[in-house]
Amino acid sequence: MKTLVIAENEAAARELAAGARAYADEVVYATFADPVTGIADKCLVVEVPEGQAKEAAFDTFAKILADEDPQMVFFEPTRRLKALVGRLAAHNGASVMTDISAIDEESVQTRYFGGIAERTAKSVTPVAFCSAGAGTFKDAEPSGTDVVETVEYVAPAVTLECVERETLPPAEVDLTAADKVVAAGRGFGSEEELEEARTFCKAIGAELGCTRPLTETEDWFPREAYIGISGLMLSPEVYVGIGVSGQMQHMVGVDRAHVAFAINKDAHAPIFDKVDYGLVGAINNVLPKINAKLS
Amino acid sequence: MKIAVLVKILPDDQDIQVKGDRTLDFSRAKSTVSTYDLNAIEAAAQLAAKADAQLVAVTCGPKSINDSKTRKNILSRGVDELYMLTDDGLELADAYQTGRILAAMIQKIGDVDLVIAGDGSADLYAQQVDVQTAEALGWPAINGGTALDTDGATVTVARILETERESIRMPLPAVVSVAPEVALPRIAGMKDVLAAGKKPVVEFTAEELGGIAAPTVETVEILAPVPTPRKKQIFDAADEGAIDAFVAALREVM
Ligand SMILES: Cc1cc2nc3c(=O)[nH]c(=O)nc-3n(C[C@H](O)[C@H](O)[C@H](O)COP(=O)(O)OP(=O)(O)OC[C@H]3O[C@@H](n4cnc5c(N)ncnc54)[C@H](O)[C@@H]3O)c2cc1C
Ligand SMILES: Nc1ncnc2c1ncn2[C@@H]1O[C@H](COP(=O)(O)O)[C@@H](O)[C@H]1O
Repeated sequence: MKTLVIAENEAAARELAAGARAYADEVVYATFADPVTGIADKCLVVEVPEGQAKEAAFDTFAKILADEDPQMVFFEPTRRLKALVGRLAAHNGASVMTDISAIDEESVQTRYFGGIAERTAKSVTPVAFCSAGAGTFKDAEPSGTDVVETVEYVAPAVTLECVERETLPPAEVDLTAADKVVAAGRGFGSEEELEEARTFCKAIGAELGCTRPLTETEDWFPREAYIGISGLMLSPEVYVGIGVSGQMQHMVGVDRAHVAFAINKDAHAPIFDKVDYGLVGAINNVLPKINAKLS
Repeated sequence: MKIAVLVKILPDDQDIQVKGDRTLDFSRAKSTVSTYDLNAIEAAAQLAAKADAQLVAVTCGPKSINDSKTRKNILSRGVDELYMLTDDGLELADAYQTGRILAAMIQKIGDVDLVIAGDGSADLYAQQVDVQTAEALGWPAINGGTALDTDGATVTVARILETERESIRMPLPAVVSVAPEVALPRIAGMKDVLAAGKKPVVEFTAEELGGIAAPTVETVEILAPVPTPRKKQIFDAADEGAIDAFVAALREVM
């Protein structure tokens, strides 16, 4: 079997190529720039002309797919690749299974309704496209040659003009590496109130993350700080949810925590069913008291 | 100008129950609009108002999605007309099937210049139907939009990616999917809901659109995960010593 790996970033390229190696005797890897060598049997580089969106490489990737004719395509779940590779699959009438959480020879698992359930599904097309996030193949090792080829760019019929592009500042904290994680939720009434959460984090040695609404409806946190199905999937030692209701979409991101805590003013909040220790109380009332006792 | 917004109607996840055998029970779940499609509707309504465009909503799914409350919900948000296709062949439809049928609907509606989709559906969250619809139409597509603007001939989409921010301009007709932060859904007033009841709803059949494509994915089973066992020791701050007990538990893991 032959697998094509499409990834933008190095860590994903390594992990997907390693995962692919377990199923395929031939692994071909395609990327836009700065190819990682030694992880596949062949590496293909697609150079998109300056001033174009990367999605403009669609026709080039379509040619790679036709030339290589893989049975499986693994891709990194970035926004761009979801668009580019999804379109490639549709063009070929092929199945796409995004953000798989597990895979075996027969089928893959994806989350359904934000993690309320796991859906086991099978591709019924000759080529199957799957995206897998970090950690799906974490124990596998990639191997391969240093063969790098630059693919001839096929200009698209329609121009996707990039009028502006800017690199975002790097993330300040890496929640994926933190032992203890505190998540602030909508129960925080203002940005100032978050100071108590920061004090609490210092006291217990935790990093502060949040639920999705706090990066979206409010911009109190950078978007790389939200935990859950569409954000960070973590496995910390300790999780503390403060002012978090406990919706599945958030909780799947921390349900592997060793010990879980919650503070919420509503005794019926669903999070109390998903933690080891809970405290029913309003943040502005209980958090300062907890901080005082911990200091 | 005509803008079409793609809206998925599905069971409200708040009312989904997990049965003893870990299968899901939808019997108490009412239909609702997929959460982030509400943001897409709002972005589309704002753009339509600005560009003096007509706004239509397009949805497809099994017969169960067709209820008057959900129809009114969509039509009370600045949408002029709703086009729907309900067919039980679309139960568990995959992105390929959905994209093909939505593209056929858009072609049948006619004169659509811009299609706007949400960030991802609440059940599958595959972030695929937008681009797959675009591919079926042969139109360009950009996803993750956080701001949109159009001059009638092109659409410019600002988007935030994992490590970059960029702005892309493409010719119309085109498909754009938008991130939730693009716009906050409006709260429809009584008047909007009443007016929504009088707006046109056009129903298509799968036959007149050339039928539903064969599935590309087969669902084997859908089961709730085995929950992580938790102690569930809950203290009430109003009780004497509760905060101390909670702090003691925290100290255990510090
Ligand atoms: C497709 C999809 C993907 C999603 N992905 C994610 C994701 O990855 N991550 C994520 O987080 N969300 C995600 N969401 C959103 C998710 O469904 C929930 O809306 C969100 O997690 C809720 O955040 P919350 O708990 O902070 O807010 P709410 O649900 O509003 O809960 C706030 C809680 O705070 C409590 N509270 C209020 N005031 C106080 C106070 N003074 N003191 C103490 N407690 C108080 C309330 O009792 C309530 O329980 C997704 C949704 C969809 C549809
Ligand atoms: N059945 C549907 N009817 C109308 N629009 C849909 C449907 N399914 C998905 N969409 C649109 O496509 C987007 C992406 O969906 P998905 O690929 O399922 O995550 C959604 O946010 C909707 O805007």
